[in-house]
Amino acid sequence: MNKNPVVQIKNLVKDYGTKGFQTKVLKGIDFTIEKDDFIAVMGPSGSGKTTLLNILSTIDQPTMGTVFVDGQEVTRMSNRELSKLRRDKIGFIFQDYNLLDTMTLQDNIALPLSLGGVSGRECVERVEKLARRFGLEEHLKKYPYQLSGGQKQRGATCRALITGPEIIFADEPTGALDSKAGRELLECLRGVNENGQATILMVTHDPFCASYARDVYMLCDGRMICRISRGADRKEFYDRIIDMQTSMGGELSWG
Amino acid sequence: MGMMGLVWQNFRSGFKNYLSLILSLSFTVLVFFNFQNILYSDAFAVLGSRNREYIGILIQMTSFVLGCFMVFFIWYSVSVFLRQRKKEIGIYVFMGLTNQRIGRLYLAETVLTGLSALGLGIVLGMLTAGLFQMILLAISDLAVEIRFVPAIEPIVVTAVVYLSIYLFFALMGYVNIARSSVLGMISAAKRNEYVRQSRGMLFVRAFLGVWILGWGYSLALKEGRSSVMGNAFGAVVMVTAGVYLLFGGLIPLVFQTLAERKHFLYQKGRVLWINSVIFRMQKNYRTYAVVSVLMLCSVTALAMGFAMRGRYENIIQFENTYTFQLLSSRPDLDGQARALIERVDSVAMSSRIQMLSLDGSLVEAREHYSKYAFVSYSGLRKLAKETGMGLTFEEPGEDEVFKISHLYLLSLITGRSDVEITIHGKSYRQTGDSSVPYLGYLQESMSFYVLNDEEYEKLLPLGEVLYTYNYRIEDGKHFEKVRESLDVLVEDTSEHNTARVAIDPENHELDWVKIMYSICIFMFLVFILASGSILFMKLYNDAFEEKERCRILRRMGMDRIRLQRAAAAELAVAYGLPFLVMGISSLFSVGALGKMMFTNLFAVNFVSVLVVFGILACWYVLSLWAYERNAGIGR
Repeated sequence: MNKNPVVQIKNLVKDYGTKGFQTKVLKGIDFTIEKDDFIAVMGPSGSGKTTLLNILSTIDQPTMGTVFVDGQEVTRMSNRELSKLRRDKIGFIFQDYNLLDTMTLQDNIALPLSLGGVSGRECVERVEKLARRFGLEEHLKKYPYQLSGGQKQRGATCRALITGPEIIFADEPTGALDSKAGRELLECLRGVNENGQATILMVTHDPFCASYARDVYMLCDGRMICRISRGADRKEFYDRIIDMQTSMGGELSWG
Repeated sequence: MGMMGLVWQNFRSGFKNYLSLILSLSFTVLVFFNFQNILYSDAFAVLGSRNREYIGILIQMTSFVLGCFMVFFIWYSVSVFLRQRKKEIGIYVFMGLTNQRIGRLYLAETVLTGLSALGLGIVLGMLTAGLFQMILLAISDLAVEIRFVPAIEPIVVTAVVYLSIYLFFALMGYVNIARSSVLGMISAAKRNEYVRQSRGMLFVRAFLGVWILGWGYSLALKEGRSSVMGNAFGAVVMVTAGVYLLFGGLIPLVFQTLAERKHFLYQKGRVLWINSVIFRMQKNYRTYAVVSVLMLCSVTALAMGFAMRGRYENIIQFENTYTFQLLSSRPDLDGQARALIERVDSVAMSSRIQMLSLDGSLVEAREHYSKYAFVSYSGLRKLAKETGMGLTFEEPGEDEVFKISHLYLLSLITGRSDVEITIHGKSYRQTGDSSVPYLGYLQESMSFYVLNDEEYEKLLPLGEVLYTYNYRIEDGKHFEKVRESLDVLVEDTSEHNTARVAIDPENHELDWVKIMYSICIFMFLVFILASGSILFMKLYNDAFEEKERCRILRRMGMDRIRLQRAAAAELAVAYGLPFLVMGISSLFSVGALGKMMFTNLFAVNFVSVLVVFGILACWYVLSLWAYERNAGIGR
């Protein structure tokens, strides 16, 4: 299958702190995300997962290395170009949903489209279509406080997908959900990925969550130490992730 | 640590939170103190007893208005403070404190804050008292030497008034806390849940708001006599309630309806700010209503100031139409009087007219006098021609009169239509009135009616025929000398009587009106500063809540300019709506003022609204800057 790279990372390094007291968080990471990939990045606390995601999301700058998103080098872009890139090419799913509590679910989902200058009629149609797919059509008129955690996160996923971005970055998307709601969300994510609607990079510490991805990258101490790919069976994939976690050191805190 | 220790520690550590409350309260103390200080100082003694008396009444009235303002401002500040503190002090519930003890804790902190504000306000008041008097006198264009003598009375009065109001609201806060549920206290700050209100309730509020507001407006413009004060009070209550319901009903209803029209909402970034406005309106509608009413007070005070200034100048001009007026039974005094004047000065303008004086028992009119004066239309036309004043009305019919009266500063009798006057059993309808100074100062002390020539002739046998001789001298400096020389004409014999009226061009009897003008300007400043600062503080605090939302939006790729535009639109609504409500309401409040002054104040209204607009525009720019900074979207 002919695949296009959506995200390319070359020799990514990130230091924190002042000169002489620097901590290396990322120590030279290379990897590529191709169209229709569903990648999970796992790693113990402090391994650099969030830093990696922040750099990929263009809200943090690397100390060294390059990041290409859809062929554009983000490390050389102006703030305005970065905003445009985030709006048009990237979708975000956050652990704490980040829905705006001042607007209904419908307005929340339509927000990126509306601000992108899409006509009102089209916004409404696209929101309704996506909401049906995520089982949210009954809840569009509700405010975030009236929704369950699972509904909120599915709403946030709709918002991330509504513009048809090149890639979705998901930061611990099931972290605040109970197991049932988490499973429902992951099924949805897998569904859109398998239908070719989304390329997903998900950061998680949860092996169960990671087992829904096609590939899992293990990050430890600022380095990508291995990659595991799923076979036909998700359960078997889950077991392999657990084994890998154990071999990396059970004493590490995976959170 | 004992309770007082805890109170003191809270006060010290949270001083920044208290600071805005202390500053806003001390501002009201400062303003009130300054007015009290004028009342108890002798600054205006040199203006003469009449002026001093009137200024005293004015200051007392102003103090009353400021007292009402203080009640409102303290209530507002304390309740905002209570809401802020409730959650924080609610945490003490988990430490095992009872509601009553928490209430006492709040009370002690509030009293400490109140006393600090009182002390600060009075110290600042004493420091600025001289300056305040100087500004007041400078605006009033009065030359009075300024001296500030610290007196105990203004301090005591200010402290007693302020503390009574403040402690009352502090105690209310205590009761509120003591009766609160634990859950209510710890979730007091988490009120973001009820964003959209029920449509039915909004409809009811909107309907009531429009109806009550309309009722208030109609009361403001209703003409009347003894009912005017009652109507004015009713109008104030109705308009305040109406504005409150407007912001709590009609305006959210409009915005919610807009938000439901998705095709409209999703265009031009409206989705951001319209939703924000709905959210804020639910939380802040009381503030917007309060600010609208304050702005309305402000614009009315300014319009009143402008109108008073204009009216003062007109009255001075009116009174000085003539320098001397002779009222005599003699028909041939003109030559003699003119000769006497011309010995000292020359005559700049003169006129004479015959008039009929009727005893009060023969006349029934709305205003009761011992004597009524009538002139014929042709006599007045001749006088108007001599003086170049012009005549603006037609000759009255046989059952009509036209009244010539004076300029009122303010009159509480506004009903002037359908007025009738009965002369010797015959009714005459008053067709209108004029304040052209045909008879100058005499018009101030007597009511003159213009009659049809034939009617005038018919009534002549009923009363005494008098002649008025009116002169304005060229140079006001010769006033005293001319007056002395005219004294020889004054007589009171069985055959003839002649009276002389002298109007000193340099008289300062009306100087108190100038003070009224300055006080109006001052009140305008107090109200506009208060309304601007209330909105500013509200938006300043709201912006912190927006910070998280802006962070999310920026993460999603909204650029800063777009967020700034949304903030600018939201703030424009926050300032624009109270301004709009104020602008519309001012047509009625200033209209009512115009009725009391018997003049059209539309131009004054327009200019005043424009001034308010200018000041609010400055507040808006300042608020936007602070909002962008606090929400993390500034440059």
